Amino acid sequence: MKHILKYFFSFWLLSCSFGIRAQVKDTLTIQTDSFPVTAVTPEAVPELVQDTIKTHRYGLRVGVDLFKLTRAFWDHNYKGIELVGDYRLSKRYFLAAELGSENKTTEDDRLTSNSKGQYIKAGFDYNTYENWLDMENIISIGLRYGFSTFSQELIDYKIYNSHPYWGEMPPKASGQSYSGLNASWIEVNMGLKAKVFNNIFVGFSVQLKGLVTNNTPGEFDNLYIPGFNRTYDGRFGVGFNYTVSYFIPIYKKKIKIETE
Amino acid sequence: MKKIISLVLLFTFALSGCEKDDICDANTPTTPRLIIEFYDINNPDLLKTVTNLKVIGQGMSEGIVFNETATDDSKYRTNASSIAIPLKTNEDTCTYSFILNDGNSNPALINEDIITFNYSRRDEYVSRACGFKTVYELNSSNPFVQTDGVNNDGSWMQIVELVEPNIENENEAHFKVFF
Repeated sequence: MKHILKYFFSFWLLSCSFGIRAQVKDTLTIQTDSFPVTAVTPEAVPELVQDTIKTHRYGLRVGVDLFKLTRAFWDHNYKGIELVGDYRLSKRYFLAAELGSENKTTEDDRLTSNSKGQYIKAGFDYNTYENWLDMENIISIGLRYGFSTFSQELIDYKIYNSHPYWGEMPPKASGQSYSGLNASWIEVNMGLKAKVFNNIFVGFSVQLKGLVTNNTPGEFDNLYIPGFNRTYDGRFGVGFNYTVSYFIPIYKKKIKIETE
Repeated sequence: MKKIISLVLLFTFALSGCEKDDICDANTPTTPRLIIEFYDINNPDLLKTVTNLKVIGQGMSEGIVFNETATDDSKYRTNASSIAIPLKTNEDTCTYSFILNDGNSNPALINEDIITFNYSRRDEYVSRACGFKTVYELNSSNPFVQTDGVNNDGSWMQIVELVEPNIENENEAHFKVFF
């Protein structure tokens, strides 16, 4: 299991570095050198780390979701931002939170609606990855509780008529808005964070969500909840983010390495 | 660790089972039609079948299709004891001609009655996939106006009775017609 994770992580790290390189056009190319992962084979590790002292750095990591931030460039129906942060509590546990704001217009076949509002998600991450040396990569599984306050606007709609004897009607404009809505949910969060250089991390996470409370307008439904994303007939939802974050070190703990 | 992963997998499977909401299910109750039932004037508790009834909306060139399998004019004719007719979703009034014995070789048997329905409309949210539906409420003062057809041959509908002014579903008759 552990080895599979290691190889998976090395592969991901590698592809991630390519991704970074492609995005910022060669300004970060030197960084591939600082990855010992691809160069070190697992057999060589015990030799290498003998008599070494592992330093664990504790601190606050703050970042932003690049996907949400850049989506407005190619999707004119979306504007949003998400700030992410985590604070290392112990060797494996991190307090984690996301804070965001979204404004999304959804064009369904028979409805066009807009949803805008703010959300906060708070919980913890558990790092399942055993780092080598002073590496600080993270493969985490976490839990969050999310809460969102938002408003919706029904922009236009179509009447569903299974017997259109009098002809199919064009969409009707509505403009009806519903404010003061809120919803809360629990989400399971699986993520990867890799230190690309110094204190800069890039990360990716996927989330599975289950609605706990959902305060709907009564004569309409919450079709998109900021932070929770699109709703389905049931209580489930999905999401992901792609983050870049900066680690602010606060203190260090030195630990003697345990030989495997 | 393994426990967590299996839990997450379970969660994912549970999720995949409930995403079928992009297509409007044909069984979902959407915009209802007006239901008219026909009764025997001599025995008001008994349903009576009509003979070759054609129903055509005012200003329309074709009647309501009752028999989709037929190819000739008989697809517009019904011999049932109950019919469902769609009201306009964009106007508060709707007029239909009800032609009994349509296409009969003896013109004396063909009889046309005209009914105008007056109602108010309300659009109700159904779902993301289905959008909205229109429900109707027939006016309390003049829910319908019955007139004879162009031939002045008298009305074949002897009594038209409104039984349910709220047209919200197709479960029961909204009108009873005795003839």
